[in-house]
Parts: sequence; structure tokens; C-alpha cells
Amino acid sequence: MMTGSQKARFAKTLISTILITLLAFLFLFPLIWMIVSSLKPEAQIYRDIGSFKSFLPSLDVGQWGNAYSSLLKRFNVFLYMLNSLLYGLGVTAGSIIVNSLAGYAFSKFRFRGRKLLFNIMIALLVIPGETIIIQKFQITRSLGLLNTPFAVVFPAMAAPFYIYMFKNFFDAISNDVIESAELEGAGMFRIYWRIMLPMAKPAIATVGTLSFIGSWNDYIWPLMVLTDTDKFPLQVAITNINNTQPVYMNQVMAILTLSTIPLILIYVFFQKYLVQGIGASGTGEK
Amino acid sequence: MKSITSAKSNQAWIYLFPALLLLTLFLFIPALMSIYYSLTDYNMLAPQARLFIGLKNYLTLFKDPIFLKSVRNVAQFVIFVMPLQVGVALGLALIVNKKRPGNTFFKISFFAPVVVSLVVTSVLWLYILNPEQGLLNGVLNQLGLPSQPLLTSPKQAMFAIIGLSAWQGAGYQMLIFLAGLQNIPNEIYEAATLDGAGKWEKFRHITLPMLKPTSLMILTTTFIDAFKLIVQPMVMTQGGPMDSTITPVYYIYRTGFTDRQLGYASAMTIVYGVAIILFTVIQRKVTGAGGDNDDR
Repeated sequence: MMTGSQKARFAKTLISTILITLLAFLFLFPLIWMIVSSLKPEAQIYRDIGSFKSFLPSLDVGQWGNAYSSLLKRFNVFLYMLNSLLYGLGVTAGSIIVNSLAGYAFSKFRFRGRKLLFNIMIALLVIPGETIIIQKFQITRSLGLLNTPFAVVFPAMAAPFYIYMFKNFFDAISNDVIESAELEGAGMFRIYWRIMLPMAKPAIATVGTLSFIGSWNDYIWPLMVLTDTDKFPLQVAITNINNTQPVYMNQVMAILTLSTIPLILIYVFFQKYLVQGIGASGTGEK
Repeated sequence: MKSITSAKSNQAWIYLFPALLLLTLFLFIPALMSIYYSLTDYNMLAPQARLFIGLKNYLTLFKDPIFLKSVRNVAQFVIFVMPLQVGVALGLALIVNKKRPGNTFFKISFFAPVVVSLVVTSVLWLYILNPEQGLLNGVLNQLGLPSQPLLTSPKQAMFAIIGLSAWQGAGYQMLIFLAGLQNIPNEIYEAATLDGAGKWEKFRHITLPMLKPTSLMILTTTFIDAFKLIVQPMVMTQGGPMDSTITPVYYIYRTGFTDRQLGYASAMTIVYGVAIILFTVIQRKVTGAGGDNDDR
């Protein structure tokens, strides 16, 4: 038997749990609807709309894959996925190498103009990249990169903020480590490659994860520089599919669902580094 | 402090070269180009006929009704999305910070929209907000409420974009708030409880002040990011209806890329870019973030 105060506390917990569950549904319902609708025939989505049935899949499990197989027949979704993956990996690898090299130079070399250059770079951080896309496009065009993967990958690699992150990380590594390696005859590149990079694994993971997600989600830049459909990354392909007649809602929901799965995996496996990235930076929302 | 021998110092440029080259090509030169182009009538359709026209683009810009509208629109977006998104994020963080059954599920639910890209968010909500066959009006009708025009109404379109942007972004800031909350030592709360402080008093006098640095950081970054709004209007409304959702960055894109008027678009880049830079500099002063800590 429960006493009165126990009962009251139980009722309070129950009510607050119900309210929070409703709130959770408010955040989840668009995604539930997206996935469920991708598993339904077109006509049934419209029949169910508004009722609770819009959030339940159809009972006919054998039909669930229909929208997906029609979508895959009409569009080369795997190619778009592969493109996104390749652009993403290219940007990630490039970003780690280019920015860590620069961070290493700023941290462990003493050269004329070091401080000035570093301050200029920090100042460049305030330029809102979104406002200079037109001029960036002009440069990319005059370099002859338009409609090549390089146009997507190169401009996304170097980032003052990541250089800053790597520099801070290398600053924390004692110079004694370098000096003893030098005494043993190791060159500066060998020290970078064999000692600094392996020690900077957390920074690499953070920069890598943020770069990959940024590249995967990028839309406007690839839309501007790529003209061949078969070079499109997923994000551009999505709007293309959504504008190619005839448009079937269940197929659109299928491509939305498919394109989100890789990101779910990234967030699940690399969540730790993302939160570190936020904490370290104070810039976010990419 | 000791450092690498100076004989090797010139080696540094080899390590810096890739980053400097890329930053020069894709950040520094474009920024300089926009200054020069903004003083010309450069049109990509007739690139040979480029003339130096001084400040004419700037004078036109401040009388351009679409540009002025775009600035008003983005101001509306910023003013509403900031308190909404940050307020919701703080509320969610307070909810999941408490130990209760199903906590992990709630945390994942609130964070789930963050995983979805802006393009996916925009296309998905396009279907949810469809005035005739959309999910939202379906639910409203089911509850006996009239259908709303939503994205087809100049009054409602921007509010719809505000709502779905907050939906997408709040979970991310919830995580940052949560980290802030967990940094508050428990002893402070315990001491306050002993002094007879109630829940509200503890929230007002302990939680809020202790969260101040986190809140300031979140508010200012949201503020600056919100000014760069482009994907949602571009995918969902193409700036319409009646230019009610066009934003400056989107207008720059349309003028410079779609209409090929590079000179005029560059003037916009300068005016709007400088405005954002000013905000960013003020933000850094306020939060003390991103400064130069290289005093060795």
C-alpha cells in the first residue's frame, strides 16, 4: 500500500513523464512521419493524413520497400551517396592534413612574421564565407575547376579555426619531446608525422568529424559549381529529385530517410568529439 | 622559452604553404575582389563592358526595395528565432538534466532533428506545411480547426521557417546547456536547500547566474548564424510569397549567380558582410572568445 504522500509523488512523476513524452513527440513526429511515409503507398499517405494512422506504418510489410525500389530504379541514389562520401572523405583528409601542418608551423617554428600572420588568420575568421560565394565562384571558374570534384573539395579544406585548434593542441605538447627526437636525428617532418600527429588524435577526430558533417550537409556550393547530375552529392540530388516530375511523396520521403542514415551513424560513433568541438570553439550550428 | 633552432625556421613556410595558398585563393582574394567589383558595373553576361562606376551600386542598393525587404526579413527571423530556439534549448536541458526514467530516450528525441541536414529539414517540412495535403493542416482539420495558408502566405511564411529552424537547431544547444549545467557543483544546491531555498529560488539565484557564460556564447553564435539564413528560403519558398522570405545572403546569390550581376552583388557582399563582421567583433568583445592567447 502507498501512503498519501507517496501517491501524490507518484501522480506528479506520472504527469510530468506524460508531458515530457508529448514534448518528445513534438520533436520526433516529423521524422516518424518521414520514415513511415516512405514505407507506404502514395495514396495511403494522403488517406491517413491528420489521423494517428499517419504515424503508423501500413500493415502490409511486404510492400514496405516499394517506394525505395521505385526510387532506386528512377535515380542512381547509390552514385549520389558515393559522391557525398568521396567529397566528404576528401574534405576530411585534406582538412586534417592542411590545417594540422599549418598549426604545427605556428606552434613549433619561430619565423619572421609568425605573430602577424597568425593574427591576420584569426582576423580572417570573421569573414562570413556565405557572403563571398559569388567571388569564390569566379576564382574557381578561372582556375578551371568548375564541374570537377576539386571545386567541391579544395575550397572546403583550409579553415582558420581548425588551424587555431591544432595550434592550441600542439602548444600543449612539450618542446622537450621534439628536442629529444631531434637529438636522435629525426627531421621536423618526421617529428610531425611520427610524434605530433599521433599525439593529436583528439584534435584530429574533432576536426575530422566536423569537416565530414559540414561537407556532407553542404548544399549551395556544390549546387553552384557542379553541372553534371552524376557528380551531384546527395543534398543537391535531393532537391533535384524533389523537382523532377512526376514527384511521388513516398519516394521523396525514401530519399530523405536514406540520406539521413549515414549521419545517424556518424553522430552515434563520434558524438564525444563533437561535444568537445563545441566546447572548445563556441562556433557551431553547421 | 626554448624553440626550434632558428636555422630551421624558414622551413615553416613549407608547412604553411598549403593552408596559405587555399586561404588566399578561396577567402582572401574573393574578399578583396568584392571590394573592387562593387565599384564596377561588372555583368557576367557582358564581361568586356566593365566600367568603373564609383559608389553608384551602393546608392542603388540603399534604395533597392528588395534589399531593404531582405534585411527586414532577416531581422524578423533573428528576433524571433533567437529567444525561441535558445529558450527551448534551455528548457530541454533542464528537463534531461534531471534523473528520471526514460531520460536517454528523451535526450535522443530532442537531439534527433539536429542529425537531419538543412536540405532534408526543408524538403520534409515542405510536405508537412503543404496547404492542401500537408500533415499540419490535416491535423488542424482533424481537431476541428481551419486550414492555414502557411508557406503560401506572406504573413505566415517567415514564421513557419522560424519554427522549423528552431525545431532543427534546439537539440544542439540543449547539449551545450547540458554541459554547462553539469559543471555546476552539486554542493551549491545542497547548501541552498539547507538554507531553505525553493526550486524557483535555486533556479534564479544559482542555475541562471552559473549558466551565464554558456548562455552568452549560445546567444551570440545563434545571433550571427541566424543572419546567414539562406537554405530554408531557397529550398522552400524561393524567397516568396511576395519576397516575404528573401534574405540578404539569398539575394546576393540570386543577383550574383542567377542574374550574373557581379558588380551589384559585390556591393551587397560588402555592406552585409561588414555588418556581420561588426556583429562578430562585438560578440568577441562580449564573450572574450577566439582571442589571441599567443603571448609567449
